[in-house]
Amino acid sequence: MRKKIGVYVCHCGVNISATVDIEKVCKLASGLPGVAAAKDYTYLCSDPGQELIKKDIKELGLEKVVIAACSPRMHEQTFRGTCEEAELNPYCLEMANIREQCSWVHKEKDKATRKAAALISASVAKASLLEPLSEKEVDVIPKALVIGGGISGIQSSLDIADAGFGVYLVEKDPSIGGHMAQLDKTFPTLDCSACILTPKMVDVYRHPNIELLTYCEVISVDGFIGNFKVKVRKKPRYVNINKCNGCGACAEACLLKGRIASEFEAGMGKRGAIYVPFPQAVPLVYTIDSEKCLFLRKGKCGKSPACKAACGPEAIDFEQKEEIIELEIGTIVVATGFDVFPAKEKPEYGYDAYSNVITGLEFERLSSASGPTFGKIKIGGKEPEDVVFIQCVGSRDKELGNEYCSRVCCMYTAKQAHLVREKLPNANITVFYIDVRAFGKGFEEFYDRVKKEGIIYRRGNASEVYRRGEKLIVRAEDTLLGEALEVETDLVVLSTGLVQRDVGELKNALRLSQSSDRFFLEAHPKLRPMDTATAGVYLAGCCQGPKDIPDSVAQASGAAAKAIVPLATGKVKIDPIISFVDENICRGCGICITTCPYDAIELKEITRDGYPVEVAFVNDVLCKGCGACVASCLSGAIQQRSFTDEQILSQITALGVE
Amino acid sequence: MRNIQKIIKDGARKAVARDDVKYVLGWTPGYGFRVSPFFARTAEDTERLIFSPLCANNLTIYLTLQEKLPLPKAAALDKRKIALFVKGCDSRAVIQLIAERGISRDELVILGVPCGGVIDISKLEAKFPQAIKVEAVEEGEKLSLKVDGKSQEIPKEDILLKKCSLCEYPNPLIYDVLLGEEKQKKTKDYQGISTFEEKSPNEKWTYWGDKFARCIRCYACRNICPLCYCDSCILDKLSPQWIRRSVNLSENTVFQLLRTFHLTGRCIGCGECERACPMGIPVGELNRKLEKDVRELFAYEPGIDIEEKSLLSQFKPEDSEDFIL
Repeated sequence: MRKKIGVYVCHCGVNISATVDIEKVCKLASGLPGVAAAKDYTYLCSDPGQELIKKDIKELGLEKVVIAACSPRMHEQTFRGTCEEAELNPYCLEMANIREQCSWVHKEKDKATRKAAALISASVAKASLLEPLSEKEVDVIPKALVIGGGISGIQSSLDIADAGFGVYLVEKDPSIGGHMAQLDKTFPTLDCSACILTPKMVDVYRHPNIELLTYCEVISVDGFIGNFKVKVRKKPRYVNINKCNGCGACAEACLLKGRIASEFEAGMGKRGAIYVPFPQAVPLVYTIDSEKCLFLRKGKCGKSPACKAACGPEAIDFEQKEEIIELEIGTIVVATGFDVFPAKEKPEYGYDAYSNVITGLEFERLSSASGPTFGKIKIGGKEPEDVVFIQCVGSRDKELGNEYCSRVCCMYTAKQAHLVREKLPNANITVFYIDVRAFGKGFEEFYDRVKKEGIIYRRGNASEVYRRGEKLIVRAEDTLLGEALEVETDLVVLSTGLVQRDVGELKNALRLSQSSDRFFLEAHPKLRPMDTATAGVYLAGCCQGPKDIPDSVAQASGAAAKAIVPLATGKVKIDPIISFVDENICRGCGICITTCPYDAIELKEITRDGYPVEVAFVNDVLCKGCGACVASCLSGAIQQRSFTDEQILSQITALGVE
Repeated sequence: MRNIQKIIKDGARKAVARDDVKYVLGWTPGYGFRVSPFFARTAEDTERLIFSPLCANNLTIYLTLQEKLPLPKAAALDKRKIALFVKGCDSRAVIQLIAERGISRDELVILGVPCGGVIDISKLEAKFPQAIKVEAVEEGEKLSLKVDGKSQEIPKEDILLKKCSLCEYPNPLIYDVLLGEEKQKKTKDYQGISTFEEKSPNEKWTYWGDKFARCIRCYACRNICPLCYCDSCILDKLSPQWIRRSVNLSENTVFQLLRTFHLTGRCIGCGECERACPMGIPVGELNRKLEKDVRELFAYEPGIDIEEKSLLSQFKPEDSEDFIL
């Protein structure tokens, strides 16, 4: 047998050498079949460590390299680079994990040494069967898709567009702006939310690189990084957006004016069947609510639709149909946002029963100068004398399955309490909390300030809200005093948390996973917080987990930077460790197709012995090398490169299992 | 009741007369007690077809078993359909084959025959050790046998295959033509399986060790299985060699377990493996155990719906995970 394998054993300082007898292991490794050299070094990942390997590759003419060190998750890329620099194919490298899987988990040196030797001999056996692989490159369409037009989507779109790439921003509602547009003031700086948001919305509208697709939904995503084919459903607005000048005459004329609960006002205000969500909407174009409009529902609205008669530019078009647009995209940023926790799922707080129990978002509209009460905090036409805030409604609640902290409620409650104090100086304000989490920049200072404004913070979650005479009673236990108490109040604000929104088929179309809190799962919680398991798809904002505005904006810019990289380089490299099909064996049953989580396999027809037969075909670009298809194939026709049955069986055999 | 023999002959004659049908796959009397599979290509041939409680063979196997010689370059592909007779259990094999894309629905003309159960030949041999020729006719819960010319009546449960006395699907689930009258369904009963489930791991090893030791690795169980139809079976692979050729308990056990696991969520319980085994190993028991587990854990039954996805390629968040240690 040709001796062309080099084995390098790392001490990892004392991480490995304290438990594994390196000298003994090297001696055993040098006697393994095919091994030309077995050497050790304190830190192989250091420069001199890598030099040692490079020198051997050149001088000994090594064809395969085995590194016995840490997990390949840590340094496989490093050592692949080392091989490449020494002009050896980077896929001729095999790592034996003798740190995480050996030295760190064992105490007895003798046994750990034997195990390390066994792991190395298995890697040597596999290395001798490794084959050089080459990386493919594909071109990238220099355009991005951003799904969701809240602050995260807006920020990502602007950043990508500013870098010089085309952006399609798809928003399901008639206007961009998202939840941020609904907020009154932002914590802890107390600047007006709409005032800082609307200039950005206008920037989006004006940006030459951004194509804004409002009142649209992504219905399917095909293809792969660099070459996504996306279908978007353009819902009919029944208003020609090129003609509408946003004058509002139609809304004034609508027979249902002021009779439909406004989504933007969180149900606190009313709108008509033809509406703009809010005066600064972008685009400022009216939309007819087809589920409410009398003419669209019943075919009849008075003698003739009043809106149509009122419209000067003749923009109203009841004949409009839904349209499907096809887009070609290089990378995708998902910024689908969140939903407010439905307060009715905590019936003990009486949200459904009492009109003076409201959610945090409803309070924002009540407090907003542009809201239905023009910023006056009035309930049933009266200013409340007593106000109670209940924190953690729908968050940190195992019974509901929402174990997580929604991260914004402590601070928005503090802000709202402050706003009440500002507007109603004599009101008695009580906040019930479990813990106050004031972790961000300026948060603790703000919380401290609010506490000094005569707002009573009582530790303990409220158990019940009920009516007694004119007043509402909040029953709770003060866990610091250890006593039960009842507080009379005129207004209860529930600090409702953030929950994942149902995005329907989009989740499957983008092949996104969810963590146990149901928010979308990032590729790595620490090191790849914007990436997903699907290459070319990135996450921004609350769809990945609850965030405040600064965090959403930061992540959105991060996701934009990530999405720009493939657009800027113009090429993406495809990992060659993927599956491949032996067409002579494949029976075309398609079990691999249903198993594949990435839709990377399809059937194609070939001719075998003159007969047309269908066999599986792996799309190199879509395949992520997860190996699920290999496990599912009954005839062993599908295999994964660098993990073929032969390679793995040789490893098992070397471990002494026959 | 019209004579079933006439009904199936008529059905076969009509099918074979069609321009788009290659041949009709049915049963014909064979040697001794046995019934042979028969390929009827002409109207004359169809006269030789029969259907009786002796027709145990699941003919579905011949859909994938046929050896295809390389097609000469200029030759046109014979795109005609195959007509075949199926009993209830056989029809589930056809459904599973179609679901797995082993064959396409439009390549088939399915002639369904409701079945009241088929005879276990070993029981017949034990009862009539001297007999040379046997004919059988079903009469309700009894069978009327003609043993070497002499008529006999015998209760069904004394002589049917075990799987037939518990048959849930006596009537074909897929067919183009139904020949004969539908039969009464029975409830599936896994009693036999529960007794072996209750054994301790050691007892199970002993129980199966005794049986697997008898295996001569003739692969009859694999070869007769209508759902073991890979063009290249991993048992025959040399590189890597998953199972050695030697016949010993260790290799036999690996073979039997591999065969069973490859049929997880696919076995439709026709019992052909067990019937074909020359060593009398109850291989079907392993299949039934998996069938039971699959049904109880995932509420999944193969061979019912041609659109159904393979069990092992599906994942539902509510799937049972109790078995994960």
